[in-house]
Amino acid sequence: MAEVVLKNIKKVYPILDKPKKGLFKSKEDTKEHRKHNLQITDEGVVAVQEFSLDIKDKEFIVLVGPSGCGKSTTLRMIAGLEEISGGELYIDGNLVNSVEPKDRDIAMVFQSYALYPHMTVYDNMAYSLRIQKLSKEEIDRKVREAAEILDITQYLDRKPKALSGGQRQRVAIGRAIVRDPKVLLMDEPLSNLDAKLRNQMRAEIIKLRKRINTTFVYVTHDQTEAMTLGDRIVVMKDGYIQQIGSPQEVFDHPANLFVAGFIGTPQMNFFDAKLLKKADGYYVNVEGMEVKLSEEKQERLKAHDVKEQEVTLGIRPEHITLAEEGIEGMIDVSELMGSSCHLHMTVEGKDVIVIVPTEGDASEYMGRKVKLSFSGRHAHIFSKEDEKNLEY
Amino acid sequence: MQKDLNKSAEIKLWISRIVVYAILIFLAFLCLFFFYLMIINSSRSNAQLKEGFTVIPGGHFLDNFYNAWHDGDINIPVGMKNSFIVAAASAVLTTYFSAMTAYGVYVYNFRLKHFVHIFILAIMMIPSQVSAVGFIQLAFQYNLTNKLWVLFVPSIAAPVVYFYMYQYLQATLPLEMVEAARIDGSSEFRIFNRIVLPIMKPAIAVQMIFSFVGSWNNYFMPSLLLNAADKKTVPIMIAQLRSADYSKFDMGKVYMLMLMAILPVMIIYIILSKSIIKGVTSGSVKG
Repeated sequence: MAEVVLKNIKKVYPILDKPKKGLFKSKEDTKEHRKHNLQITDEGVVAVQEFSLDIKDKEFIVLVGPSGCGKSTTLRMIAGLEEISGGELYIDGNLVNSVEPKDRDIAMVFQSYALYPHMTVYDNMAYSLRIQKLSKEEIDRKVREAAEILDITQYLDRKPKALSGGQRQRVAIGRAIVRDPKVLLMDEPLSNLDAKLRNQMRAEIIKLRKRINTTFVYVTHDQTEAMTLGDRIVVMKDGYIQQIGSPQEVFDHPANLFVAGFIGTPQMNFFDAKLLKKADGYYVNVEGMEVKLSEEKQERLKAHDVKEQEVTLGIRPEHITLAEEGIEGMIDVSELMGSSCHLHMTVEGKDVIVIVPTEGDASEYMGRKVKLSFSGRHAHIFSKEDEKNLEY
Repeated sequence: MQKDLNKSAEIKLWISRIVVYAILIFLAFLCLFFFYLMIINSSRSNAQLKEGFTVIPGGHFLDNFYNAWHDGDINIPVGMKNSFIVAAASAVLTTYFSAMTAYGVYVYNFRLKHFVHIFILAIMMIPSQVSAVGFIQLAFQYNLTNKLWVLFVPSIAAPVVYFYMYQYLQATLPLEMVEAARIDGSSEFRIFNRIVLPIMKPAIAVQMIFSFVGSWNNYFMPSLLLNAADKKTVPIMIAQLRSADYSKFDMGKVYMLMLMAILPVMIIYIILSKSIIKGVTSGSVKG
């Protein structure tokens, strides 16, 4: 139950052993550097930079991005497991840059669960409370309470190896919540589970959040998790924040080409297009088809005094319709997903995906030539130069 | 046709089994024969032993035991006690400190970490006899002879054990577990003692027994550093009995003392054998 404030946080991994000394170089070291192979400066490898974020009390923040974007590093800096190279980190108003993890009053759930294999579930959960020297009765009460919340009471006497993946994950969460931490950190907690269990645990985490009032910081590379769990999501790439916003905001108004492509499945379609400025407003011309942009988009573009230019046009698959007139394309593959059908097609050499409602036999679409259309309300216009959304 | 095929397969299976068992029996014989020899010989008198080897036990087992136990020159209970102190202390110190060093090098990141690792491994290349010369000179210079701790304290530095522990940690200890313990509020020492040591139990058991047996059987160092009667260890006593002058020489007694000397080792092997098998095979299969 605390605010977490990150001010201009930076993380640089110093290169401990110079790579030339082959004999003393370990494989892990090179692997580590390759993983964070973002920006190598004289100081070392830069993993995170210019990271500023105010996390409100009891907020659920999700850090999302592709592998090696610095999201886990950021989380580990909040936990105190990584030194902060620059910037300031405040938890509950206190500067904690140099405070030991154990004194930060945080708890963390790891991707690999990190349960103590020689201890029973009960002892795993009680471990931190015993270190705090709480009375036996209190430890027992807290452990049973947490076990109750997570529905693992019947496993308290078992050792981790006798549990399934999902149960282990519950124990790992139990071990974290038993301490009533100010901030609960989760590092890709669901990525080791199978798809079905992942969906189930995702729902459990939403429920859990309602039961324990604490601040959550959750790291994932899965945008579905990010969209469903977070109050706000922070999209990261190459150590930089790309966009911060509610899931709806990020989905509806992506700040740049990367966010547009990363959030949403299937991915947003991109076309080379031209932004035209006519007397009655802005138009976008793609493959010879001109579409007038919606009123709100017109206003935003006008406010920024956007000039006529070559742009990248982004349209989500669900916002493209098959029409009488429009961009020509040829359907290569159709995937029946149940109520809808994903059509993979080629338009002027580029892959495009369109989602249409299922009507009749989906395989009939294959090999057909169709025309695609979209509304000006759903067009996202990105600059060719810096890939930013021209509306913002 | 089908029947013939089955029959020839059966015959092949039988032949291969016979060959395998023959080899195993031969190897088992090689291992156990010397134990048998020792037990038989410990039951025979010096005169009988001079006649050569027989497979039938003699009738002097208790005589030999009595003679060995009451020998005027050596004190077996004291020797056993000394050997046990040195071997047990070596085993505990070697494993604990090697595990700790391996943990330190494995878990912490520091400058020259890989140099430290390679340096420790490089020490393995120096034969112990070479370093012993310097050590013995040192011991004499500082008057450290006839002290048992001089035999077990240097065992803290054991590069081979360190290397084994390091490999074991690489295979079994995820760093996230250490981090989880840190977040749970553990101090670094507590993490090592409460989380890491229990995980390393099989490795510790294996190295403990190797170190115990090595120390128990060690003759080289004790023979150079111990000469007071109340400080001698069992291997020195066996040598002393063997080199006794002609009038006192009794080979039956020597065999009896050898038998007594290997008993504690056998007991420890039996107690720890499960852990040894676990420790030797661990890391071979992803668990």
